[in-house]
Parts: sequence; C-alpha cells; structure tokens
Amino acid sequence: MTISHKIAQKTKTFLIEIGELSFFASRYFKELFSKPFEFNELLLQCYKMGNKSLLLVGVTGFILGLVFTLQSRPTLMEFGAESWMPSMVSISIVRELGPVIIALICAGKLSSGIGAELGSMRVTEQIDAMEVSGTNPFKYLVVTRILAATLILPLLIIFGDTIALVGSALIENLKGDVSFQLYYNKVFNALKFSDIIPATIKSFFFGFAIGLVGCFKGYNCKKGTVGVGEASNSAVVYASMLLFVIDFIAVFISDIFFEI
Amino acid sequence: MKKSNSHKIKLGLFIIISSLFLIIALYFIGNRQNLFSKNFKISAVFNNVNGLILGNNVRYSGINVGTVKNIHMINDTTICVDMHIDYKFLKHLKKNAVAGISSDGLVGSMVINIAPEKEFAPPLNPGDTIKSYSKISTNDMLETLNTTNDNISLLTSDLLKITTSIKTGDGTLSMLINDPEMATNLKTTVKNLKTASSSASNSLNEFNKIIKSINYNESMAAVLLSDSVTALQMKSIITNLDKSSTGMDASVSTINELLKSLKTSEGSLNYIIKDTLLVKNIDETVKNIKDGSLKLNENLEALKHNFLFRGYFKKIERQKAKEAKKE
Amino acid sequence: MNKITNIKPVLKIQNLKKSFGNNHVLNGFNMNLFEAENLVLMGKSGSGKSVMIKCVVGLMQPDTGTIEIMGKDISKLNQKEFNNLRSEIGFLFQGSALYDSMTVRENLEFPLRKFPEYASKSEKLVSEALENVGLSSAIDLMPEELSGGMKRRIALARAIILRPKIIIYDEPTTGLDPITSKEIIQLMKGIQQQFKTSSLIITHDVDCARVISNRMILLIDGINYMEGTFNDLSASKDKKVQEFFK
Repeated sequence: MTISHKIAQKTKTFLIEIGELSFFASRYFKELFSKPFEFNELLLQCYKMGNKSLLLVGVTGFILGLVFTLQSRPTLMEFGAESWMPSMVSISIVRELGPVIIALICAGKLSSGIGAELGSMRVTEQIDAMEVSGTNPFKYLVVTRILAATLILPLLIIFGDTIALVGSALIENLKGDVSFQLYYNKVFNALKFSDIIPATIKSFFFGFAIGLVGCFKGYNCKKGTVGVGEASNSAVVYASMLLFVIDFIAVFISDIFFEI
Repeated sequence: MKKSNSHKIKLGLFIIISSLFLIIALYFIGNRQNLFSKNFKISAVFNNVNGLILGNNVRYSGINVGTVKNIHMINDTTICVDMHIDYKFLKHLKKNAVAGISSDGLVGSMVINIAPEKEFAPPLNPGDTIKSYSKISTNDMLETLNTTNDNISLLTSDLLKITTSIKTGDGTLSMLINDPEMATNLKTTVKNLKTASSSASNSLNEFNKIIKSINYNESMAAVLLSDSVTALQMKSIITNLDKSSTGMDASVSTINELLKSLKTSEGSLNYIIKDTLLVKNIDETVKNIKDGSLKLNENLEALKHNFLFRGYFKKIERQKAKEAKKE
Repeated sequence: MNKITNIKPVLKIQNLKKSFGNNHVLNGFNMNLFEAENLVLMGKSGSGKSVMIKCVVGLMQPDTGTIEIMGKDISKLNQKEFNNLRSEIGFLFQGSALYDSMTVRENLEFPLRKFPEYASKSEKLVSEALENVGLSSAIDLMPEELSGGMKRRIALARAIILRPKIIIYDEPTTGLDPITSKEIIQLMKGIQQQFKTSSLIITHDVDCARVISNRMILLIDGINYMEGTFNDLSASKDKKVQEFFK
C-alpha cells in the first residue's frame, strides 16, 4: 500500500515537473521573440559558456579521439582492417561520440553552473531585485542563457570533434604509419553530409536542453543554500537524461530523413 | 559593460574558428560529392542497378569523376541513372564509353565504372546518354561460383578415385611409385650406363691414336698394313667397333629421351603409356649396353695382345716412363 | 499626525488577501503610507510582511484587494506602465541582493538601463548615490569584496539612484552588528530628510523602530492589528502588542 502510494506520489511529482518544464520552455519561446533583446548579456553568456569551456572540451575531445583509436586498433588489426580506422573513428566521433560526450561534459559544467548561479540569485533575492528595478529577469537571465547554450554548444561540439580527430590522427600517425594527409583523405572520404548535418542539428537541441534544464532548476530554486545545491545537482541529472532522450529521438529522425 | 571588449574579441575568435571548422568540413565533404565544382550531367540506362543509391561514386578508368545524382525508372525493365561528372574530365570522356555497375571491393558500396573504348570517338557532350553493360551482380557471381564448385567437387572425386587406384593397384605406375627396388635398379642402371659410355669414349680415343700412329709413325705397321690379309682383318675389327659405338650412341640418346619424357610427361594417361615403353626400353638398352661394352673390352684386350700392336703399346709405356723420370 | 492624514497617501492598500493553500497569510490588510513619513511595519516571522511588500512591488499577485501607488491601481496597469511606476519605488532587500557578477558601478547602473534618458548622466547619478551612502571609493569593487554593512549601503544607494518617492526597506538591519545597524538607520534618516521620501520599513528590530518611526503598524494574523506612534504602541496593554516590546 505504502509502496504503491509512494510510486503514485513520485509519478505525480515527475509529471508536475515535466509540465512545469514545458511551461518554462513555452515561456522561453514567447519571451525569446519579444522585445527588448538583451544582446550584451547574451554575448557575455556566450563568452562564459563558450570560451571558458574550450580547455575542458579540447582536453576531453583530444583524449576521446586518442583513447578511442587506441582501443579500437587491436580489434580492427585482428581483421586486418587497420586501414578502416580513420573512417570508423571519424564517423563514430562525428555522428555520436563527439556530440554526446561533449554535451554530457557541458551538461556537467554549464547546466550545474547555470543552476547554481540562478539558484543563488533566486535565494539572495537578486532575481526579485531585478524585477523590482523594471528589468524582466526571465528575459535578462533565462532567455540569454538558454539562447547562449543553444548557440554555443554546436560550436563547442565541432571544436571538440576536430580536436578528437587530431588526437586520433596522432595515434594513427605514431602507431600505424598513417600520414596526416592520408588520414585526412580517408576521413573526408568516409564522412558524408548525412553524418555531419544531423549531428550538428542534434547539438543545437543538446544546447537548448542544457540551458533549459539549468535555468529551470535555478530559476525555480527553493529557498536556502540546500536549495541551490539541489538545483545545480538536479540540473545536471535532468540535463544528462534529457540529452539521451533527445539523442534517441534524433537518431530515429535522422534515420528517416538521411537513411543512415 | 566596458570591460567585456576583450571578451567579445575572444568570443568572436572562438565562434569564427569553430564555424570555420564546420564550414571546412562541409566544403570538403561537398567537394567529394562534386557539389561545388562545375559539373555536367550524363545518363546511362540499365536493366538492374544492383542497389545503387544517390551519391555513389562514378569512376572513369578508376578515377573518381563524379557522383550519381538521380535514379528513375523509365519502364519495368529500364532504369535511367543520371550522373554529375566534374567538368574537367569532359574532354577525356568519349561518346563510345561504356558504363557498368560494380561493387567497390567485396563489401564496399556500389560504384558506376565508365570504361573507355579503344576505337576513336568524338568527346561526350553534356546531357548525352552512354552505353551500358550489365555486369554480373554478386548474386550472379555467387550462382556461377556455385556451378563451378559443383564441377570442382565432381573433378576432385574422380581424381581421388584415380589416385587411390594408382596407390593400391598393380599397374606399372604404381610399381614405379611404390617399389623401392625398382628405383634402386634404375639408379644403378643409369650409373652403369655412365661408366660404360665414358670407358667407351676412352677406348675410341685410344683407338684413334693407334690408327694415327699406324699410318704415319711406325713404318713397321705401315708395312704390315699393306699386307692384305691383316688389313682385311683389321677392317672387320674396326667396322665391328664402329657398329657397336653407333648402337651405343643410339641407345644412350633413347635413354635420354625416355628419361626426359619421364620427367616432363603430362597427364596421367600419357604417363602410363610412356611408362611401359620406358621400362622395356630401359631393360633392353641396359642389356645392349652391357653386351656392347663387354665386347668392346674384349676387342681392346685382343688388340693389345696382337703381336702387331705389342710394340706400339710397349713404346707408349716407355714414353710414359721417360716423362715420369723427366718430371 | 493629524495634519498629514488629510493628505493623499502615496501608497494605499485596501483589504489585501493572500493565501497559500490553507495558509491564509493576509486576511484583509489595510494600510496607508503618506508623503515624507517613516512608517514602520512590525510583525512576527511568517506574519505576512514580506508577502505584503511583494504584492506591492508586483513580485506576487494578491488574491483580492487593491493596491494604489501614487493614486494608480497597479492591477489595472500594463507591464510597461507598471515598470515606470516601479521606478518611483526603491527597494532595499533583506540580504542586500547585489548582483554578484557585477561591480558596484554596474549594480548601481542596472536600474538605469531601462531609462534611456538617464544614459548620459549615469556616471553622475552613480557617484552621487555613492556619496550619499559614503562609499565613493568602492565603485569598482565586486560585491564579494564588500562587508555586510557596505553591501547594505550599496544596496541603499541602488535603491535611491532613481530618486524614488517611496522606499521600501525589508529588514534593513538584519544580520548587522549593532553599530553598523545604527549607521544604516542614520543613513536612512538622512536620506529621508534629504529627498523627502516616504519610507515603509519592515523590521522586528524595536530599536530601529523607535529611532526611525513616525508611525507604526503591527501586522498580526494577517491584518492591521494596531496602528499608532511608537510610544502609543509600546504603552499598549494588549498582550499580543506587548510581546513585541518585551
């Protein structure tokens, strides 16, 4: 009895959360297209999210390419198919690994950052102060952050993918005597628009999800410092989950349109 | 926010670099698909395109020259494939070029191969339709391969029968293969033959010398030769010798031939036929040679003991002794 | 106080009701704030003081009741008109609520950004506001570099930068040591005298109330329980009132 009650309660909370998130998202779209545009704040957020994540994304991407190549080599060598390494690595990185892993890293960095920042602003009444001084805090804080995340994440993913391929090429060059030119040739022979375009479109949604969940959790933060921690923590969890859901849907859709 | 000018520059730099990566990637991928280079359209009509899809490569003599842009059915058995070919290859493509669909490697995707013909033809114009040939698909190939496989299995089973019968049967060939005694006999025979022929050539040499010395050096011998009786005898001896040496020559060459054919014979049937002859021949030859060489030895011995030649032989011995002393 | 009761109030609250589920926080609260007076609103924690002022500045929507600021019913205004009206109200938040990511200067410029007419003289306004609170040197510091008292002063400077007619202080002395509290109270007094603003001060600091109040309201059980000067209330025999002055 109590267990079923708990499950019902949890389901209810979950559904309420989903509903609130949807309202939050619809409010975002409504406010996104209404004046005034907080352009300077948008640029500042782009800078904070983009440039400040470059090192993280670069290192992650480099190691991703390096490790992925190193780990796949023995298996492919068993088949005598080392020459397929560049194609395999580039396709899997560009299509799936790069976007998902970099988005997850960014969910950890950006979502929690936004959640904590907005949460503490909510708790210390800074959001109220903003509203009282006549500035729409949703526009100033939420719209700019979600938009910045949506715009910046694809760029970060492209940046990360490129570095990952450099890492992979390095390993191939050191271990397999594949020149950088040959690697590059093979990569671009293997890649198609149907690899790069769905991945890029998908990464916009990833960015939107990261920004949306971070802002939602932070903006609706409960009072107290515990609330801030909770906001940033659950922002990461929800954002990561949402990323996989989006990825799942994206694969289905790109399957229909691009015949992978 | 005045302090954010440097931020803006850095942000701009990041955005430009990342966008450049994307644009470069898109450009190169597009380039591979001939999206940006000037190109022209040609068509070919096939009965079966074997799973060709839009974007597959088009090759001319092995070079990627374009991509498949459109595939549409004209009627139930004809499919028209439009290809975009890079403009710079236009002057090399002739009107009589032939297009075929094949797969790129065993597991690769399909490609259109355009092959040039040897005869002269005017260059292709944009929009032309070129000839095509239906290359066998992997399926057809596998079917053919299946028939081939059946044939091979029949062949191998026959071969197996033959080889077992060779092994277990008691034909000459099996004797030759299985009997170790035969092999040793053959070896000794050949060895004997060698010795015999070398001794025969030695004797002939010596005989030549004798003849020479008879004619020019020894007056005694010359006188003797004028004696008709002795001369007649001598003649008969020499004719005999001659005969035996030619016989020997012939037999040696026959052996050689046989040995050669034994070595290089082709086909099992051929082998067997030749083989019986070989064995017989070898047997006879060996016998002949043995006889011949025995007779020759006898002849020589007789010569030595003949009083006419005794002096000559002694003289030779003396000369040999002198030379030994000198040295 | 009789002489000012005839004057039109700058802030008039009538029959304000607000409840959260079964928790009825405000049960028909009435209040008038007159020009150039310091009105202290006292009440226990959770008595609805914060809810009341949030309703006034539009951070919350009341269930029923009317709020008139400078004679305008805020429920009948659109967002733009309300935002303009908001510039007539300065708000000093309990925890100062300075924007962490901005410098003091940017914090003070923030309320000005909605008004293009101030753009040219923002430099002057900022330095004047800082002079008023005696912290001109802190202009390029970040909030985290300031002490609690300094933050409160900067927040006050931010509240007065638009020269509002009404300033609402939400617990202005909470979390400050007694000396700093006194400084802040003196500052509030000084500003009130200098700009002739009406101040609504929410506090449960009796010392603060005694020093600054012209008039006091006790908010108990969601209604205007008792109204009068500090001396009137402190002399009251009512048990609930007595609790505040122990």
